[in-house]
Amino acid sequence: MSTAVTLDGITKRFPGVVANDDVTLEVERGTVHALLGENGAGKTTLMNVLYGLYEPTAGQVYVDGEPREFDSPRDAIDAGVGMIHQHFMLVDPMTVAENITLGNEPRKWGGLAVDRDAAREQVRELSERYGFDVDPDADVEDVSVGVQQRVEILKALYRGADVLILDEPTAVLTPQEVEELLAVLEELTAQGKTIIFITHKLGEAMHAADDITVLRDGKNVGSVKADTTTREELAELMVGREVLMETDKPPAEPGAVSLAVDGLRATDERGVEVVSDVSFDVREGEVFGIAGVDGNGQAELIEAVTGLRQPESGTVSFGGTDVTDWSRRRRIDEGMAYIPEDRQERGLVMEFDLVDNAILGSQHTAPFARGGRIDWDATREHAERIVAEYDVRPPNADATSGSLSGGNQQKFIVGREFERDPELVVATHPTRGVDIGSTEFIHDRLLDLRNEGRAVLLVSSKLDEVQGLSDRLAVMYEGEVMDVVDPEAVTEEELGLLMAGEYPEGYGPESEAGDAGCVATDGEPNEATQPASNDGSEGGTR
Amino acid sequence: MSSETVRGRLTDGELSPQRVAGLVAAVLLAGLVLWGFAFPETQAGRFVAILTDRSTLAATLRLSVPIAFAALGGIFAEKSGVINIGLEGLLIVSAFGGVYMADVTGSVWMGLAAGIVASTLLALLFAVVCIEFRADQIIAGLAIWLIALGLAPFASQVVYGGPNTASVDTVDAIVIPGLSSIPFFGALFSATPFVYLMFGAVAASWWTLNRTSFGRWVNASGENPKALDTAGVNVTRVRYAAVLLSGVLCGFGGAALSLSIGQFVGSGSTMVNGKGFIAIVTYLFGNYNPVGALLSTMLFAGLDALQLTLQARDVFAVPQPLVRTIPYVTVIIVLALFGRTRIPKAAGEHYESGDE
Repeated sequence: MSTAVTLDGITKRFPGVVANDDVTLEVERGTVHALLGENGAGKTTLMNVLYGLYEPTAGQVYVDGEPREFDSPRDAIDAGVGMIHQHFMLVDPMTVAENITLGNEPRKWGGLAVDRDAAREQVRELSERYGFDVDPDADVEDVSVGVQQRVEILKALYRGADVLILDEPTAVLTPQEVEELLAVLEELTAQGKTIIFITHKLGEAMHAADDITVLRDGKNVGSVKADTTTREELAELMVGREVLMETDKPPAEPGAVSLAVDGLRATDERGVEVVSDVSFDVREGEVFGIAGVDGNGQAELIEAVTGLRQPESGTVSFGGTDVTDWSRRRRIDEGMAYIPEDRQERGLVMEFDLVDNAILGSQHTAPFARGGRIDWDATREHAERIVAEYDVRPPNADATSGSLSGGNQQKFIVGREFERDPELVVATHPTRGVDIGSTEFIHDRLLDLRNEGRAVLLVSSKLDEVQGLSDRLAVMYEGEVMDVVDPEAVTEEELGLLMAGEYPEGYGPESEAGDAGCVATDGEPNEATQPASNDGSEGGTR
Repeated sequence: MSSETVRGRLTDGELSPQRVAGLVAAVLLAGLVLWGFAFPETQAGRFVAILTDRSTLAATLRLSVPIAFAALGGIFAEKSGVINIGLEGLLIVSAFGGVYMADVTGSVWMGLAAGIVASTLLALLFAVVCIEFRADQIIAGLAIWLIALGLAPFASQVVYGGPNTASVDTVDAIVIPGLSSIPFFGALFSATPFVYLMFGAVAASWWTLNRTSFGRWVNASGENPKALDTAGVNVTRVRYAAVLLSGVLCGFGGAALSLSIGQFVGSGSTMVNGKGFIAIVTYLFGNYNPVGALLSTMLFAGLDALQLTLQARDVFAVPQPLVRTIPYVTVIIVLALFGRTRIPKAAGEHYESGDE
């Protein structure tokens, strides 16, 4: 077999971020190659480099063994590389055939007219050759998402693509459509096409791909054969095993239930259920962790808890009161602080200075607001206190938050949320993209809060973080809580399996109720978690 | 498990309030016309006589020319994603440019060419400001109008010593023997070359938009520029071409306006007097289809011709200022009743290749 695409030492830097760090990758002709990794691992950036949308900072792209420099997608297309983006690039009011031929229309009468019959015929032939079922005359806006995706694939094939890059192709599809897509991919590779597909779902990568390359933090952390790897191995590669933190923490002293989630179901923007019947509770004085590979419903779950998403069913109770229908503002006022996943999108207004950002969420309450006016002196004092106490650098409250580094932005958000004096802190990926020093600082502050008897709900895809900080740890997979485990006792292999949707020996859906129940009924955490730790060691020695 | 999304659509046979109102209006109009035919001596009879007068159609065609050309220009620009509300300004400069050059050279056709050049240059300025410098299209369009509104009368002042230019020769109507003597419709065969050019431009625009590659690209550029870009077509170039084309078409319209009268009138809102803005309404009403735009232009121009005659003959004994509002009021009503326009999705948005 020959090599269709070789990426040699690709590095792509954006201002302040290294999106791809010396990535080397080989794709065999006629195979399906999965590019696996979490959100933000640099998968799409890498493929945009191959497709000519980005110029690599360093490194070389080879197609069919020839070194290539792509200035634009046009060059990539000419070299036989086509890309199907996550968001389809289709013109809605045009027909399937018009979309496929756009930019390369067959013409007649010396270019005075598009040869519509020829276009239709070519599209029909192409569609039949690869076993696609699309009507060339249908308007693109009237066909299903699955068909639109096939139109995108046909578009690339029409332009002579031999290598097809698919960016998260299954994210928008129903399960049946996914099966159809996989059949299409099989047919394509059978006819000599090469497929690279980007995904963060490891099951899918194992199912559909011949080879799998895992990216983490912009680096290639391993290329494996799909038929010789295991789900655990992939999960570990994706999430990484960084040095396990040695955090000194006193045993938890769980108090009353602060947050109770019961039978919660939520759907995403497309109306697909992504949180399925999730129940758990978080007690005062404990850190309740939620682990899992990104995109398994954690984001939607947290949005439902914090009031940013209306759940389909189920309840969220806070301090014994049903708050399911409370507004975000009311939840803040009652003491629910939130460190959001995307600090630049939801945590801060990048154009505002830190003084303005310091009162976001409390702009309507004393001491910052009085009679509809904002007390800027008190606000400035508050901002400066956060900057000083949480070590935000540069120590200048007049700086816009956009001018701060990611770690300092995060420290500022953490400071603002903690200074609310909250009953419950919901922290999602609190240390993503944050340097080691700030990470430790944020971890310490989270534990301080817990030791003061506050409740902490922590979501992270970093295993060491959730394992090190949590007193109880739930693992989510495809919208469901697989199990609630004792983070001290569980092994990484077991966590990896749970995160991949499989139960290690000694774990099972029934133990979820058992573990949670033990802590709920028994105030002594050491005894309460004993059974779980026994289970864990058995599972580990299997 | 997933909740199904069902798209509700109005089925074709459904009687919406708009349709009922439209139906009532049509019935009332038909009744008035029938009444007029039956009793020629009544007010309605006189009204119908005006309506079916050959001179009304001739006036309609004459008044349609600048609006139709501007509407075609607006269609190309907006379909490509650049909303050009400076059509009025383009008409003004070409109206002046046309008369000036015709005065200097003594040739109407040189005047037409000069009008087109003037309008295209101003459209180029608009394109550079909007596409290159990413200015707000609405503000830039208004600026184009205001520039022209100041520039043309000023130039006239400099050259002719007043806001109105000297008079120049006009073109004769092209009369097709035989056909031109048909009652009423004969006006179609005894019109200025500009009227024929207008029909030709509508047909050519329709063909370009619906049958050529360029038309596809214009369409895609206004709907989903990124799709066009990834298909390997330069969106910026397509948009420049479309905006310049709108300049060329407005140039025809403005020059035709002044050259068929033989003078540029620069006082007040100039002789263009809102025709560029009416053009925007007509192409929206025509749903960006050149033929639809022509039909709605002729509806407006016809009403305008009608009110001119009504004013002159004083049929209904209604104050003239009120009669003058007939075309505008009718257009608003018609728009409210039948306006179903699909605006290009990316209209008004900048596009820069490589933006993620």
